[in-house]
Amino acid sequence: MWHIAKRELYDNLNSLRFALATVLLLALMLTNAVLYLREHPKRIQAYHNAAAGAIETLESRSTSLYRLATEGPGDLHKAPSPLRFCAEGDEAFLPTRVSGANYGRRIAGMTPIWRMFYPQETPNLRNIRPDFTTLDWAFIVGYVLSFIALLFTFDAISGELERGTLRLTLANAIPRHIVLVGKFLGAFISINIPFAVAVLMNLLLISTSDAVQLNAEAWGRLGILYGIVILYTCLFIALGLLISAAVRESGVSLVVLLLIWVSFVVFMPNTLASIGSRTSVPIAYEEFWVRRIQLADAAREAYTNKYGDSQTTPSVHVLGEYVTKEAEEHERFNEAYLKQQIEQGKRARAITRISPTAIVQRLFESFAGTGFERHLQFIENVQRYARQYREFVIDTDRADPASLHVVGIQEGMSQKPVNPEAIPKFKDTRSLNRDFNTASTDLLLLVLFLGVLVSGAYLVFVRLEI
Amino acid sequence: MLMTLIRRELLDNLMTFRFAAAVFITLLLVVANTIVLLKDYEQRLTAYNTATQESHEKIRAEKIYSDYLGKLVVHRPPNPLSIFNLGLDKQVGNKIEVYHAFVPTIWDAEKHGADNPFLNLFTSIDIVLVFQGVLSLLALIFAYDALAGERERGTLRLVLTHPIQRGYILFAKYISAMLCLLVPLSISLLLSIILLTTATTVALDTDDFLRIGGIVLTSLLYVSLFYLIGMCISAMTRRTSTALMLCMFVWGVLVLVYPNLILTAVDIVPQPNTQISAYNQIKQMWEEWDRKNKRLLRNDAVLGPLSQNGEGWGFRLKGGEYSFLRDEDKPSILLYFHQTGFYAGKIKAESEPHVPRVQDYYRFYNRETVNTVERAWLVRKPALEAIYVQPANLGQMLLKFSPTGLYDAATEAWAGTDLEGIQDFFGTVQRYRRAVVDYFYDKKIFESRQWFAADEGTADWEALPQFAFHRSDTSINAKRALPDMLLLLIMNVILFIVIMLIFIKSEV
Repeated sequence: MWHIAKRELYDNLNSLRFALATVLLLALMLTNAVLYLREHPKRIQAYHNAAAGAIETLESRSTSLYRLATEGPGDLHKAPSPLRFCAEGDEAFLPTRVSGANYGRRIAGMTPIWRMFYPQETPNLRNIRPDFTTLDWAFIVGYVLSFIALLFTFDAISGELERGTLRLTLANAIPRHIVLVGKFLGAFISINIPFAVAVLMNLLLISTSDAVQLNAEAWGRLGILYGIVILYTCLFIALGLLISAAVRESGVSLVVLLLIWVSFVVFMPNTLASIGSRTSVPIAYEEFWVRRIQLADAAREAYTNKYGDSQTTPSVHVLGEYVTKEAEEHERFNEAYLKQQIEQGKRARAITRISPTAIVQRLFESFAGTGFERHLQFIENVQRYARQYREFVIDTDRADPASLHVVGIQEGMSQKPVNPEAIPKFKDTRSLNRDFNTASTDLLLLVLFLGVLVSGAYLVFVRLEI
Repeated sequence: MLMTLIRRELLDNLMTFRFAAAVFITLLLVVANTIVLLKDYEQRLTAYNTATQESHEKIRAEKIYSDYLGKLVVHRPPNPLSIFNLGLDKQVGNKIEVYHAFVPTIWDAEKHGADNPFLNLFTSIDIVLVFQGVLSLLALIFAYDALAGERERGTLRLVLTHPIQRGYILFAKYISAMLCLLVPLSISLLLSIILLTTATTVALDTDDFLRIGGIVLTSLLYVSLFYLIGMCISAMTRRTSTALMLCMFVWGVLVLVYPNLILTAVDIVPQPNTQISAYNQIKQMWEEWDRKNKRLLRNDAVLGPLSQNGEGWGFRLKGGEYSFLRDEDKPSILLYFHQTGFYAGKIKAESEPHVPRVQDYYRFYNRETVNTVERAWLVRKPALEAIYVQPANLGQMLLKFSPTGLYDAATEAWAGTDLEGIQDFFGTVQRYRRAVVDYFYDKKIFESRQWFAADEGTADWEALPQFAFHRSDTSINAKRALPDMLLLLIMNVILFIVIMLIFIKSEV
């Protein structure tokens, strides 16, 4: 078996395609690293400035608990991932912050309590540049490496059939599956050499620069990503061997492979996403606003009715109830709209799983900490923090016996200044554990794909007449 | 003899499995994507119609003239030819406010119906994109063994024993391959046009068919260029397998890698210097005008007290119901303006003597505002060009080093979904704003009582000039597409000559 693998390897190492693949992958990986090093420090800087500014604003509100309760925690920023060179996701077009604020508006003559806003504006609207895919690892692997894998395997069996050397090999006492495994290994190693070299150069360039620090977790994630790349290349090698054995003619095998590649890799993810997104369409933005205003009006009306007979309860309590309810309702409404949008995004992504390239894209995003799943994680973090912040305000208020414990009303709250250190601060964290959980289905699917293709290649090759 | 050669080549190509597979895949992709795009187009058209209707009703509900920001809104209809090449049609804003206090541009536009930010990762696949990927691949597959294969099999030698010129052989090969490639191209176009015409929402006129003709012509040039690239490689190499590998890598670089590589590399962030200085200049103009305005108000014996010593947003006439401030301050798109006014349902008799003075004031205020806008526009226009248009053009230009970029640019120009096509719309909106301002001047609306009060007749929005947008003429589309098509043609000719030279000199 090793003999066959070695023979394949020597064959490939001297070939034109090996040289071309090496040059292409090296060029892409180096460009990727250079661009990342140019952009990433700026991103980190911008994030740190924004986060520091947000904390400063928050601490400036510590003069009274009332301010903290009404003005809220302010802008909460998403931490940029250090592994953005692996998968850009659609980071550039996703919101980078969520804000918890009341925007200084007044409702029925009162300062309302803060609530969460999920900004909608995306920079895409002002973008008049030609559309393109960013050169990240996901692109290099998903498109270029799969293409190269097919170019290495399309004639692995059909070529030998044509030249008649396969008959010669099988005349020796070697079982067929050993021949297949040998070929598989040969192709796998010869594709992996240029890729490994390119990745090495890429990582060397990134890790030697002092602008970016990759910690142990980041390296662990890179290791996982490399494992995914191996799975993915195996998948395409198996596909190449399958078609190559089934078609028997190198020219035809290449055409079939390329057509499969074009449909599954290039077109299918996008077309399917477009179809999938139609199964769950959020309400129109205008309608969202109309409903929002209706809701606010209804809340106000309910409050005025109640305020009419406020002889029984002190007005502070009624007012407190109203501002709390208004903020809660608005926030729930914002969340519901966000949920609809997320649902649409999820549907669009779910259906693209038919294409292995889309699966790999998702896996790359999950483990690189960018894109959609990461954004969901960020939103979860934000919501957890919001609860924590609310609890903090209530607890601090409870600790003061002089207070009436009516949150959101100046007279009803503790008048003591708050220790700025004690206010909870937002920290955007990622957990590898969670990433694994979200990625497990995709990983499983990828392995299943691989299993199907490998067994297919085996069956076809074993039954092949020579 | 030439006919015999062509016939032989044609049969050779047509009877192959690769031809059948290629036609099948092209048809499948084109039909599937046309259906998806058609649905998408219909959705956008419905959104456009609803939005237009709503804006129409909204402006008519307005009783006075002054507070029309956000109510006089025009919408950009989706382009039916975006099914062929989507270009910027879906991406750029399609809802724009018309107001005398700023000049509307592509960057001020919003979207009716906000986009879901979570769907941005996916690109829409249009017909040109399918052709761009599949037909070019097909052309190369047809071409790689055209010469190298015959040489290997020895049939080339056989053919050359006949008294035929080598040029003829090349020509015959070229013609027959192009005829073969025309089959998937024309069938898929036919199917997509049938789908388009059966959809009741899409109205294509004669001009549109001319534009589609332009797209077809460009596609032919593009496919032919890739065939010639393959043939050139085939003529240069001695073995088919080498030719094949070279062809595939050339395809990978030209179609897949180069466009993305170059656009990622020149991902230029707007130069903050131009932006900040231009923004400051514009802001200064407005602040200067604001100071002048406040000075006038404060020193005026009548207006001063009415406007709380020049600090108020409106005038305290008896019967005034609310005053408002309409402003916009967006440094990233150099937009800055503010306008104040007030609304009076019924002005009381004791305030009646002040009304002519207020009217007089608004004549001055609005005239000065419009003048300030004109002056700010002189700064804003070139700055916006420098910040947004130039990087876009640079990217567009660098793309043209690949035939894919040329093809994309030319078909976009034909479809009218390129930057210039979109700018046509915003040009029309700018002219419309001018027409509205002129109408306000002509009918003395800026100084009318209806500007702020609804008691003696309300604003008549029916008489306002109507907005209408027509896509540019086919001749203009052609003019925009022609340079790129010409480049494609020249590349074709040069490659053909090169192949000829190589082939004539080569030993068989």
